[in-house]
Amino acid sequence: MRRSFRGTDEKLGLILGQVTGLRRRLNSLALQHGLLGAFAIVIGIGALVYAGAFLLTPLWFLAAASLGALFLIAGVTSFGRTAWRRRANLVKAAELADERGGLRGRLVTIVQTPLATRRSPLWSYLVEDTLGHRAEFIPSAIESHRISRVIFPFLGSLAFALAVVPLANVVHHKTAAIAPAAGDITVDLNDLQLRPAEPGDEPGAEVQADPSTMRQLEAKLAREGFAPGQGSASGVSNMLNQARKFADRMQQKVRGASVQPPLLTLHLADAGPQPNPVEPGSEPWRHGSNEDSAGQFQRDEPAGNGPLPPPDPTSPNLAPEPAGGENPTASNDLNSGQNQGNPTSDQHSADESASGQRSTGGGAMHGIGADPDSLFGAPTPTKLGAEGFEISIDARPMEDGAKGAGHAYSPPRVHAPLSARQQPDEPIARGDIPPDDRDTIKRVFDR
Amino acid sequence: MSEAALEIPTVADFARTFRRIQAEIHKVIVGHEQAVEELLIALFSSGHVLIEGVPGTGKTTLVKSLGLALNLSFNRIQFTVDLMPADITGTRVILSGDDGRREFAFQRGPVFCHILLGDEINRATPKTQSALLEAMAELQVTVSGTTYPLQPPFFVMATLNPIEMEGTYPLPEAQLDRFLLKVRLHYPNENELVKIISSTTGPEDAGVTPVFEPGAAASQVEALKRLVRSVIAAPAIEAYAARLVRATQPANSKFVADGAQSIHDEMVNRYVAFGSSPRGAQALVLASKVRALLDGRANIAREDIEQVAVSALAHRIMLNYAAHSDGIEAAQVIERVIKSVRGARD
Repeated sequence: MRRSFRGTDEKLGLILGQVTGLRRRLNSLALQHGLLGAFAIVIGIGALVYAGAFLLTPLWFLAAASLGALFLIAGVTSFGRTAWRRRANLVKAAELADERGGLRGRLVTIVQTPLATRRSPLWSYLVEDTLGHRAEFIPSAIESHRISRVIFPFLGSLAFALAVVPLANVVHHKTAAIAPAAGDITVDLNDLQLRPAEPGDEPGAEVQADPSTMRQLEAKLAREGFAPGQGSASGVSNMLNQARKFADRMQQKVRGASVQPPLLTLHLADAGPQPNPVEPGSEPWRHGSNEDSAGQFQRDEPAGNGPLPPPDPTSPNLAPEPAGGENPTASNDLNSGQNQGNPTSDQHSADESASGQRSTGGGAMHGIGADPDSLFGAPTPTKLGAEGFEISIDARPMEDGAKGAGHAYSPPRVHAPLSARQQPDEPIARGDIPPDDRDTIKRVFDR
Repeated sequence: MSEAALEIPTVADFARTFRRIQAEIHKVIVGHEQAVEELLIALFSSGHVLIEGVPGTGKTTLVKSLGLALNLSFNRIQFTVDLMPADITGTRVILSGDDGRREFAFQRGPVFCHILLGDEINRATPKTQSALLEAMAELQVTVSGTTYPLQPPFFVMATLNPIEMEGTYPLPEAQLDRFLLKVRLHYPNENELVKIISSTTGPEDAGVTPVFEPGAAASQVEALKRLVRSVIAAPAIEAYAARLVRATQPANSKFVADGAQSIHDEMVNRYVAFGSSPRGAQALVLASKVRALLDGRANIAREDIEQVAVSALAHRIMLNYAAHSDGIEAAQVIERVIKSVRGARD
């Protein structure tokens, strides 16, 4: 009898050893599931965020990074929970073996049966019977995998990261190579056209001028309705700016670079008093000759127009004149963003459009109700086919525009070289009107 | 192997004996394999059986065949409206002795047997029906203050006629709860009917050969019943049976669960007035033990419990009027409960 008990115990030990082996394998798989799954998520999303730091604009990067963080948390939590649920104790391993091996509860009964019940006359039969099914619950038969299948997503994620990270670097360096550097631009104060900055625009330029010119600029700003120091009144714009700056810092950190994009240096010059567009007796269309360059600037070249002062070489903000300084997006860069959401801007624009006289797009004014005598002006001298081009530019004094520009962000610039046959954006030249036609037209207007 | 050697039966002995009894019964009963198996399961689980079937489906024949196969004493009571409890249990009568003296003596009723068939039990009054309660639950009969024990094995099979309900007395829940299983006898299919015709209209009736020796039958049946009790039930399996029973109770169905996986079966809450009693859980485990032995196992599995659940629980739950109006049967509710509990486990 004693010997029989020992025999039963030995058989029971064999069975429990096998179930323990299965349990070990299940727990190993659960651990692998949790770790590999979490790593797969972390690596995959990390690679995406890294690539986004090079390829996306700050706000898009911020959105993508936030989304990635959410997915990261959800994914890691999910994998963790699944791994926790898959962990197995002896009973759970026995249940699984019963189910997969078709043992109909034999193992669970053996594992769970308390000692008191083991005195049942059928206990030894149960142990013997279960041992007879030993081949059906060896760990490899119940769970054939030693390595979790999550290894595949993990490897995929790793491969994706290995592919994406260098690719992002390459793309970024290519973009940086073709991006124009900032430079110096000299513009006449009277040619400056002022308009409110777009919400969220970053300061991309700083304005330099002598004190008197700066005062005139301030006066001009006041006339145009831009109060000095007028910041962004819109909360949304403010938030956008904050978000952009935050995203920018994040991007810099991810890239591992702390170099700020160079600022455009705008030299203001005062070439004389600005003609009053509403002055009685003035001829608006004649003013077009001035307005050819109104609101536009030309690059500060030796053969430039007007007695513009040379840039101050002692200024730390002066940069060597770049080869690609003709960036048409510079007008946006110059907007410091502090005039965003200016409530007076709409009024200002409305005034402009109502008067029809502040439009500086070049060309004569053919406003309604104009004096027929002065309806036609002299043909506009054109610069068709001239080299170089002109763009409109908005600027503000450095005191306003350059504030906080220490971490200024320069949006990606588009380099669009002109073709030989491409004409600059200029008004179409007017031709002479035959005298007969002039009389006819004059009669029509007189009537 | 002689059947006399079954005093300490093994699992294999049990399965072999069980199959032999089944085979003998099927010499007379055509079809109804599941009903016969459940009948024997109830017998070896020390329970009683309620057989429901329309007239002519072989209820009485089935019970008689079982008695013959087991070689145990067998009585039949036809329940009628005017049947009295004393007609079942027995009564004290005045007997005259040889010396002319008269004295009261207990005249044993038909309940004193091993296998009792109560035919159309729902035709008797509740008072008469309840006369069986003590006998079924405690294997004893009390008449005029004197208790008379019944000889084991004592196995009651009561039949119910689901039609002709006029003038019947539905069994009270307490009485229903005493039956371990409820077995349904359906109409035979065409092949079975042909076999029935040919086997019952010929010159010779098919005879049932007793499986046990006349004097040893009772003890051998009792030995097999003890073996059934020895089958091991793991705590997890017992918990599964308990959960299944609790899930039939509308008040508890939403709380039957492991941790967060709660079971909330809308069908139970909608159609069940009263769920199964604890006897239902006992019936589940006992009947499962017999099934495990038949499968050559010394342990019960969840599959055993699920296979006997409908027979063990369907007659223990009371459906409400909504169920009757929607045509819902207790068996449907039990099957739904099994799915819910199994889903919560997975």
